[in-house]
Amino acid sequence: MSHSVEKIMSPAAGRVVQPDRLLVRSLVGGLVTSLPVLVLGLLVLNLAPTYYTYLALAAFVNLIVVVGLQVFMGNSNIANLGHSAFVGLGAYGVAVLSTPLAMKKLSIPHAPFGFATLQLDPFSAALVALLAVGIVAAVSGKVISRLSGVAATIVSLALLIIVHSVFLNWTDLFKGNQAFFGIPKVVGLPWMMVLSVVVIVLARLFKDSRWGLQLRASAQSPQAAAALGIDARRLRLMAWILSALICGLAGVLYAYFAGTISPKLFYFQQIFITLAMLILGGMATVTGAVTGVIVLSVGLEFIRSIESGVTIAGIQLPQLLGLSGVALGVVIVLCMAFRPGGISGRYELDEQLSRLLRRSA
Amino acid sequence: MLSVEAVSKTFGGVQALRNASLSCAAGEILGLIGPNGAGKSTLVNAISGVLKPDAGRVRLEGKDITGRGPEFCARAGIGRTFQTIRLFKDLTVRQNVEVAHITCRAVRPDVAERIDIDRLLAQYELDGVAHALAGTLSYGSQRRLEIARALALGPALLLLDEPAAGLNENESEVLAIAIEGIRQDVGCATIVIDHDLRFINRLCDRLCVMDQGQVIMSGETSEVWRDPRVVEVYVGQSQPA
Repeated sequence: MSHSVEKIMSPAAGRVVQPDRLLVRSLVGGLVTSLPVLVLGLLVLNLAPTYYTYLALAAFVNLIVVVGLQVFMGNSNIANLGHSAFVGLGAYGVAVLSTPLAMKKLSIPHAPFGFATLQLDPFSAALVALLAVGIVAAVSGKVISRLSGVAATIVSLALLIIVHSVFLNWTDLFKGNQAFFGIPKVVGLPWMMVLSVVVIVLARLFKDSRWGLQLRASAQSPQAAAALGIDARRLRLMAWILSALICGLAGVLYAYFAGTISPKLFYFQQIFITLAMLILGGMATVTGAVTGVIVLSVGLEFIRSIESGVTIAGIQLPQLLGLSGVALGVVIVLCMAFRPGGISGRYELDEQLSRLLRRSA
Repeated sequence: MLSVEAVSKTFGGVQALRNASLSCAAGEILGLIGPNGAGKSTLVNAISGVLKPDAGRVRLEGKDITGRGPEFCARAGIGRTFQTIRLFKDLTVRQNVEVAHITCRAVRPDVAERIDIDRLLAQYELDGVAHALAGTLSYGSQRRLEIARALALGPALLLLDEPAAGLNENESEVLAIAIEGIRQDVGCATIVIDHDLRFINRLCDRLCVMDQGQVIMSGETSEVWRDPRVVEVYVGQSQPA
């Protein structure tokens, strides 16, 4: 083949591909996106009473889960209903590995493979737990990446049910339905904030990378993507594993701040709330994931506070138990009806800002 | 460059291709014509790896690529457009082209280095809308973007499936000039399917006429229209030559 090239192919074209500049742009973009999270975190850290610190920690865990969910769903456009399996694996992983031996004697004295007499420091335990998450993700991802659409979603759901059953029924290792307590509480708000920023930036870097771009392309037109030589399966697998690792990290952090976990924490309730956050915020962008978490966390907490009955201007409102569930449903229905792309739509926060600047300039 | 040797394909009893053969050299523009259902798109799909032929061989630059799948064929150097436009609608115009260039960088870095995306966009009058979402473009611009995207793959063979469909006479003429430009700039082999015979006759060096899954005639454009079989196929057709 002789590419006698003149017009579109010029010898000086090397500068067109500027990976460095693109890298810097998505790095900055990720940091801009995580700014609101940082500000809210710092406010809570410095001003709010302890009760709110605890709420904020839980919200940060949700944030990391939702960003992890976005990495797979937002780029591959396949609904994932199994991500809590990885959150649970991360949490139970560090529970089994890092709980002090004295505690283990009480809770899991018959643990197999010598886990009853093994105690790792929290950092090593987290690494090993994430390794386990990665292995489960690689195996399940092999199946999921071959499928698309509804079939892949059903497989993700099956994964959730399998992992949940294992937690429930392998009582020697996971204590079954009972709470697993005594996990070292080593994570506070500062760590949670730092890792949230890391995860947000990571998700953005993946989205803007050549893999993220090709994966998004293949989700929009599989035939055209194939005709451009894109191996969609490999890219879906990549996104699935990265997504699982981020969700696993959320589980690790949850276990390390709460100290106590149980299987029901990592089941349908969490799946539904985190999916709602992502869809409400807009799953196409990392900004959407962050927006959804902030809006729903604050909104739900507000509703919960009036749920138990409050007095406004001398009028005692009755107890409205279950209001938060109703409100959650209503918000999702309204959002889907009027803004199916979610609150933040197709553009990241920094892209929206630069568009605004360009328009006003 | 490309040689298709006696390719056959049957769909549930219907023989869509029978011993279809053709060849296309580098720098040549070959027109693939024939009535609806003649097997033109099936042949293009067999060349680009979307369909696996039941028999026969497809070779690109001497390499056997028969039935290796669309991803493999794209990496081997076949760029194509589709009868119905298939863009990545929620990516920007520039990103659509970048997606193709990423593959080119991976498989033919030397070719990729010489492709200037900005210049390519300018050449197809897309530089003004580089940052618009592809789905928001007008129909004509979407057609041009599809070609620009295929070119960013740095193809050795370009397959254009009805590129002039839905374009008016002016737009067709602009498109024809652009396709001739590809021959000069890129030097790849080009195969064009279209029903617009005026467009085809103006553009193509050679024609390949298909009917009922067979290639009934191929040769120089002017020579093909003197063949009685071709005239017979096209008698009663909506657009006689």
